Amino acid sequence: MKLKKVKESKGAPLVKMEDIHKWYGKIHALKEMSFEVCPGEIVGLIGDNGAGKSTLIKILSGVLSKNRGKIYWKGEEVNVSSVKEARKLGIETVYQDQAVIGCLSVAQNIFMGRQPVKSWGPAKVLDKGKMRREAEKLARDLKLHIPSPNQEVRFCSGGEIQGVAISRAMYFKASLVILDEPTTALAVSGVQKVLSFITRLKSEGIASIFVTHNLHHVYSVADRFVVLSRGEKVADVKKEETNIEGLIELQLRKGVTVT
Amino acid sequence: MMVGVERIKLALVDYMIWLIIAGAFIFFSCTIPRFLTFKNVLFILYVAAPLGLLVFGEAVCLLGGNMDLSLSENAGFTAMIVGVMLVDWAPWLPGWTGIILMALVGAGLGAVNGFFVGKVKINPFLVTLSTFLIYNWMTYYLRRGAIIKMPGALLIPGGGRIGGVFIAIPILIGMAIFLYFILDHTRFGSHIRAIGGNSDAANMLGINVGNTHFWIFTIAGALAGVAGLLYTGYLKCIPSTIAEGDIFLAFAGAIIGGVSLRGGRGSAIGALGGVLLMGVINAGCTMTAMEPALRGVLNGFILLTAILINKTRANLRDRILMPK
Repeated sequence: MKLKKVKESKGAPLVKMEDIHKWYGKIHALKEMSFEVCPGEIVGLIGDNGAGKSTLIKILSGVLSKNRGKIYWKGEEVNVSSVKEARKLGIETVYQDQAVIGCLSVAQNIFMGRQPVKSWGPAKVLDKGKMRREAEKLARDLKLHIPSPNQEVRFCSGGEIQGVAISRAMYFKASLVILDEPTTALAVSGVQKVLSFITRLKSEGIASIFVTHNLHHVYSVADRFVVLSRGEKVADVKKEETNIEGLIELQLRKGVTVT
Repeated sequence: MMVGVERIKLALVDYMIWLIIAGAFIFFSCTIPRFLTFKNVLFILYVAAPLGLLVFGEAVCLLGGNMDLSLSENAGFTAMIVGVMLVDWAPWLPGWTGIILMALVGAGLGAVNGFFVGKVKINPFLVTLSTFLIYNWMTYYLRRGAIIKMPGALLIPGGGRIGGVFIAIPILIGMAIFLYFILDHTRFGSHIRAIGGNSDAANMLGINVGNTHFWIFTIAGALAGVAGLLYTGYLKCIPSTIAEGDIFLAFAGAIIGGVSLRGGRGSAIGALGGVLLMGVINAGCTMTAMEPALRGVLNGFILLTAILINKTRANLRDRILMPK
């Protein structure tokens, strides 16, 4: 990872993507995309299927590599080449529903891959007590209604599973959380829960990108909206400058269906 | 939090295998004279030990969402390689090195499986079916017949005694405790369970799935190597048929012990329970001089019963754990 220092101004964006291009064979999936997120900001990334939302966030979370363009993290140029590197920077991704292990406990799921350990002579032993306590605290913070951090995740509701994923970001002090369609598979109560988690992240000063094709879910929480269509950015508006009808119209004008 | 009654219920469901072992033990103690003696209990454990190590190896594989068909042939081939090595290839090696070599050769043969499953990404059933055939027939190729004369040190772990107690018994129980520690109290163990439970999710959480698969098979192979050592000491020789076909009983033991074929669920202590239950029933059959063919049939029925019991057990467990 090569770092190049550039001048840093006050209120600089947390992450800035410049002139990003991505081709899948002959398909130009992202064209001249620029995108930025400020610290603590909630950005709604909207657009229909195939608009390029997924490609964009996969590049940012280290899953895909870009063909052209630059990414700046806190003003420094970075090369996000793997999920591990993204996490090291402080970018955490919450996937729709795949990233939990049903037969393990809530506590195990929050810490999986990064569990706290204590030394027993030469051996490193999982600090289960600490995991339980921290998981309990996080669950209380997010108002997750789980009876115990030992509960297996397969007994959690869809909203609670998103909560488990989001508490990972909170515990490991991410600065940017990417939420990929976090509400799509959820019932109404689950959607409300996830929206409250996102507001909670903001109050911790954590920025988030909320990727969705459902405008209604994102509208109440987002500070800014970025609308994509066929690999291009068609709008980048602050909430004050628009309303839900305006956004729908923006999408419709580009021939994008709204769900 | 869970209330007291629920906890007791959960414990009963989780440790059901031990109740069944106790039941079988009491049954045989009442019906067979001389069953309930200290010496006999030791003997049951001693006879169960070689297969027990194979059961542990299979349990580790199953927990990681894998399977290994080659474990028993690995044990046999390992014993034969080490035997031939100490007798023909390098007779100048001191006998005790054979003990270490068994674990190392077993791990190496397991690593072959691990390489193809973890790195080349081939289905574990196909990989271990191939190595099952290779290891099985390589054992015959190395020596048709049996190695009778070998350094005495090689027989000690599987056949020796300290103060009347067969050394194989602390090896069996110690290994169960060691594996329990690895699987339930280390990061590596939690990675095995995570991969067994949902390998896509584990991958997204930054766990190196391929590497973990490699180590799962290598560890299972090392356990098979130790099993080969115990078989050698138990039989006092290394026949080319050593451990042949015991893989089916190894699967049975792990399943009876509550290890799930779906991965992620089960424990080393449960697997030990599976070994002991099979051992107790086996001893009961031997002491009543049951027809050997019928004993084989009985093993099948025990496995089928165990599967049904475990299915009910999982349902009961879900009902207790389901948040109200």
